[in-house]
Amino acid sequence: MTVGAETMSAVDRSRPPILRAGLIWTLVRTDFKARYHGTLGGFVWALLKPMSMFVVLMGVFSFLFASNPTYKLNLIVGLFLWDFFAEGTKSGLTSLHARGYLLTKARVPPWILVVTSISNAVITLAVFSLVIMIFLISAGHPPTGQALAVIVIGFSLGSSVLFLRFRDLNQVWDVVVQAGFFVAPIIYPLGILPERFHFYLYIWPPTPVIEFSRAALVAGVMPTTTGHVYLAADAACCLAAGMLIYRRLSPRAAEHL
Amino acid sequence: MTLITVDAVSKAFWIPTVRRDTIREHLFGMLQPRRFHRLQALDSVSFEVRDGETLGIMGRNGSGKSTLLKILCGIYPPDRGRVERRAAVTPILDLGVGWNPELDAVDNVFLIGSVMGLSLGEIRRSMDAILGFAELQEFANLKLAHYSSGMSSRLAYAVAFHAVRDVLVLDEIFAVGDAGFRQRCEERYRDLHAQGHTVLLVSHDPRTVTSFCDRALLLDHGRIVMEGPAREIADRYVSTLTKRISD
Ligand SMILES: Nc1ncnc2c1ncn2[C@@H]1O[C@H](COP(=O)(O)OP(=O)(O)O)[C@@H](O)[C@H]1O
Ligand SMILES: [Mg+2]
Repeated sequence: MTVGAETMSAVDRSRPPILRAGLIWTLVRTDFKARYHGTLGGFVWALLKPMSMFVVLMGVFSFLFASNPTYKLNLIVGLFLWDFFAEGTKSGLTSLHARGYLLTKARVPPWILVVTSISNAVITLAVFSLVIMIFLISAGHPPTGQALAVIVIGFSLGSSVLFLRFRDLNQVWDVVVQAGFFVAPIIYPLGILPERFHFYLYIWPPTPVIEFSRAALVAGVMPTTTGHVYLAADAACCLAAGMLIYRRLSPRAAEHL
Repeated sequence: MTLITVDAVSKAFWIPTVRRDTIREHLFGMLQPRRFHRLQALDSVSFEVRDGETLGIMGRNGSGKSTLLKILCGIYPPDRGRVERRAAVTPILDLGVGWNPELDAVDNVFLIGSVMGLSLGEIRRSMDAILGFAELQEFANLKLAHYSSGMSSRLAYAVAFHAVRDVLVLDEIFAVGDAGFRQRCEERYRDLHAQGHTVLLVSHDPRTVTSFCDRALLLDHGRIVMEGPAREIADRYVSTLTKRISD
């Protein structure tokens, strides 16, 4: 007795890479188009969201932290990274459900649908990075954007298959993201909290990423090797946990749509 | 030559007494554990599909036909048994539903087409033919949200018929669209068959199976109860149905 085995011929096993690239490109392109109604204005609008957030928060909090000369720069770096995290995880979480109609039509590896759903958040972050690089001459840049992307992908892989079973997971995550905005030191400097709390804040994955980016971009200090190892371990843990859940639940994803 | 081998495939679904789809329902339901019963959708099904043949699968609603096709196409994993595919399979399943309503017909065709294994070049080249087949040229740039259900399923069939590589797998086709569209589907189907494509076709319409298939299987409660020439299977299917009614 063979259990659930499948064998496929060469024709079926490996889709030519060109086809897969075409599929990925189409998913990214149509996702962008559907979200911004195919206009550049729509995309600019998406950039305006964190910008307006920045203006409001700066107006309110720069008085509070007036003595802190780097507050504004730290705030904008934190906000854009946070925006990427929040948008990326939200669209990743619902990705399989939203594109489930493709899963039941043909044989598609579900991870392609999950990973491409993050493309929008990546594009926004990339544009922001370009802009910020012009203004901030940094002392090199630790791979924080990449680490955050790995974290978001890990989260999305795991949560997208769980969402098919728990249809209110997105609501729960919205609440977590809302609270998490204050757990990550975005509108306040980490320094105002007693040292003994820092460890706990660093467990929340966006925190080390934001702090690292600020260190390099704003303060011009490259984090230590230990810091890099911590960042890599943080991202690897998120990815591993997500992949574990994904591997376990994704084969039957189509049955739960 | 055998293109597809289905070897002792079984599949069961666990059906809970109460559906719980949310974390909230799971939390509130923790004190009332639910029971599951096993629904054996397919029970040790084995058969082969040979190169160039048209095989029909018949059976009443719920007998496991769609589940069998999904396993055969690799969309569902089997619990037990093996499916061996030696050719590219193009499924035409669940086509009425599922489009991105925010996109127009052209972009949706790109999405579905690339999922079905067409390259972007192939999709671009066949776009006019696909829209023409579905008679939707004037609505090419209309968002799918504004399509009627008949229009969107016509589009789905048009894409799928253009995506066929070796084996075509159809679930309850010829049930959509108006008479003219059905006729075009049937013609296209006969073309594909004449070109030597292998076809697997699920239907509970005896006329469809006898006119389009050489050979057929009769499925009941997840088992193959009869296998043979399409006409015999269709007759047997009709007689089991009428017996049920007179019982
Ligand atoms: N994803 C699923 N989850 C739970 N039960 C399912 C699922 N798909 C099919 N079933 C059940 O399996 C049985 C066979 O269904 P199906 O293969 O669709 O039958 P048919 O196509 O012959 O009408 C039905 O009782 C159906 O309710
Ligand atoms: Mg069916």
